[in-house]
Amino acid sequence: MYLYDPIDREFLIDRSNEFRHQVARRLAGELTDDQFKPLRLMNGLYLQLHAYMLRIAIPYGSLNARQARRLAWIARTYDKGYGHFTTRQNIQFNWIKLKDAPDILDALAEVDLHAIQTSGNCIRNVTADPYAGATAEEIDDPRVWSEVLRQWSTLHPEFSFLPRKFKIAITGALTDRAAVKVHDIGLILRKGRDGQIGFEVIVGGGQGRTPYVGPTIRSYLPAEHLLSYVEAILRVYNRHGRRDNIYKARIKILVAALGAEEFARQVEEEWGKIDAARANLPASELARVRAAFAQTNFEALPAVSETFEAARAASPALQRFVRNNVKPHKQSGYAIVEVSLKAIGQTPGDATAEQLEVVADLAERYSLDDLRVTHAQNLVLPHVKLDDLPTVHAALEAAGLATANIDLASDIIACPGLDYCALANARAIPIAQDIAKKFADPDRAEKVGELKIKISGCINACGHHHVAHIGILGVDKKGEEFYQLSLGGSGAEDASIGRILGPGLSADKVAPAIDALVDAYLNIRADDERFLDTYRRVGLEPFKEAVYAQAD
Amino acid sequence: MKAITANRLIDGEVVFWKAGAWVEGFGDAQLFDDAQDADVETVVAAAKAQPTVIVDPYPIDLAPVPGSVDGGLAPVSYRERIRALGPTNEPTHGKQAVGGEVIEALRHAAGAARSTGRVDLIRRK
Repeated sequence: MYLYDPIDREFLIDRSNEFRHQVARRLAGELTDDQFKPLRLMNGLYLQLHAYMLRIAIPYGSLNARQARRLAWIARTYDKGYGHFTTRQNIQFNWIKLKDAPDILDALAEVDLHAIQTSGNCIRNVTADPYAGATAEEIDDPRVWSEVLRQWSTLHPEFSFLPRKFKIAITGALTDRAAVKVHDIGLILRKGRDGQIGFEVIVGGGQGRTPYVGPTIRSYLPAEHLLSYVEAILRVYNRHGRRDNIYKARIKILVAALGAEEFARQVEEEWGKIDAARANLPASELARVRAAFAQTNFEALPAVSETFEAARAASPALQRFVRNNVKPHKQSGYAIVEVSLKAIGQTPGDATAEQLEVVADLAERYSLDDLRVTHAQNLVLPHVKLDDLPTVHAALEAAGLATANIDLASDIIACPGLDYCALANARAIPIAQDIAKKFADPDRAEKVGELKIKISGCINACGHHHVAHIGILGVDKKGEEFYQLSLGGSGAEDASIGRILGPGLSADKVAPAIDALVDAYLNIRADDERFLDTYRRVGLEPFKEAVYAQAD
Repeated sequence: MKAITANRLIDGEVVFWKAGAWVEGFGDAQLFDDAQDADVETVVAAAKAQPTVIVDPYPIDLAPVPGSVDGGLAPVSYRERIRALGPTNEPTHGKQAVGGEVIEALRHAAGAARSTGRVDLIRRK
């Protein structure tokens, strides 16, 4: 993985010291709250319902064991012993005190972590495929390009005060695990006709109040032009994006208003004015970054591991885990292991300090010191030898981390909702817990198959409800928590925005409604159709009937 | 009935106004009846003049908890009840950890309404 150099490290220490002084001045009354608020937000510190919340950037969702252990230490020392992984591959701590925040930033800086650009109208932490460098599907390693964008965008003076926040996601594989089509910029690595590497550039996707699947504005951009082209996109947005209305300030509104073709034309025109030699990354620098990710020391192993096969034959639990949580690796004899943070009845995305330490140890011993966070709020051990799989599974099981439910109905994305968030209208976590309990029987969950349920506690859509197979949006209806269901969304390569099923439901009716939807699906599914495929074949009606006939 | 709430600057803790000071427990909050709206405004103004102690002070509406024998009060708004208790997914976290009658009454209060705090939050954006 990429490692900081002395300049990066000095910078983080300076930044932390600067914030320490800002906090001291705020506490002494030398800064007003209006003056201080943007400063704390630039360091990822929000004021939520019960305490401050610190959002820490995990670049492209990639951590080493030392960093994960430091997060565990912060959870134990400054929080209530746990952290919450987010849909942008970051981690949040919910119980932070303002007076402790500078010490926490110091502790993070020691392990090359920070909370910069996790808030505010800037280019946020770049997200990427959590299987990067491990999946055989990929054309190139998206971490290399994520790191290039991270370095370029960090405190970029021209793009620190955009009309609104700006999110970039990258995938190197055709299977989209990074939701690139619902980001401000989505980049898909492509191989050109000349055998060179480039990007399909998607702009203006997004969720929130006005969801869009982003249009492709350029089907192939030679990779060496990435920075100048992204600069052109941001310049057009910075100049023409709406600053008069917060709800219309994201780039998706500009792209939709101009039309993708006209937006693309303006970007090309702007791009033509940029001095490419200045803006693009020198080949030597790209080579340096690439080298940092190329040092994965895989062993030459046979494709079949006798140790693993013997253990699997003897253990139905391991069989189930392998069916759902273990994915093929590009390297013979290795596997990608997903660690579910969705144990039945738990808060989606939460990990205790002890669990973080367990996965840190496993990453260090069995996964080449590499740990990933997924946008679905789970973790990944990307490079596990098949020989080690039984040991890893047993260790995860002992820590309550072996729930075999990746992409199944109980693998639910949920935002913190009204239990923590100052913006929420309704709770999301208890709804997720209720639904997961309906699928506590793993045989039933597997029978239902892939079913992505996602819950947001308000229209800002941090819980990705628009792109869920079954989306749930918490609303405040005449002063009560109500939940609006939508069907048919997808955040993957077949991206689509879900359609609203019908009138909202009270909290206690949501889990039974999901049950009814699933039963209806099982009755009408053809062959091995996923829920999403069945919906796309039959439309809303049969599902509407199933939910509202039952509710009457 | 009303109470006045804010978050404490130094740690973000939810606090309530009580006779010139800020207390952590909803059960200790000073109550203002409907005839005291002028007093509420005075206190909110005084609170805003304490920017190194608290942030975002605002009044919240209270109503009797249905079925409560001693006329126990709870915030009308669901959001404010969660602020007074702690998160519902972690029953041992936050103020609710101490337990007792006030906490139980808050947990059993029904109904929900928009919180003035949230409306202000949106306006400020």
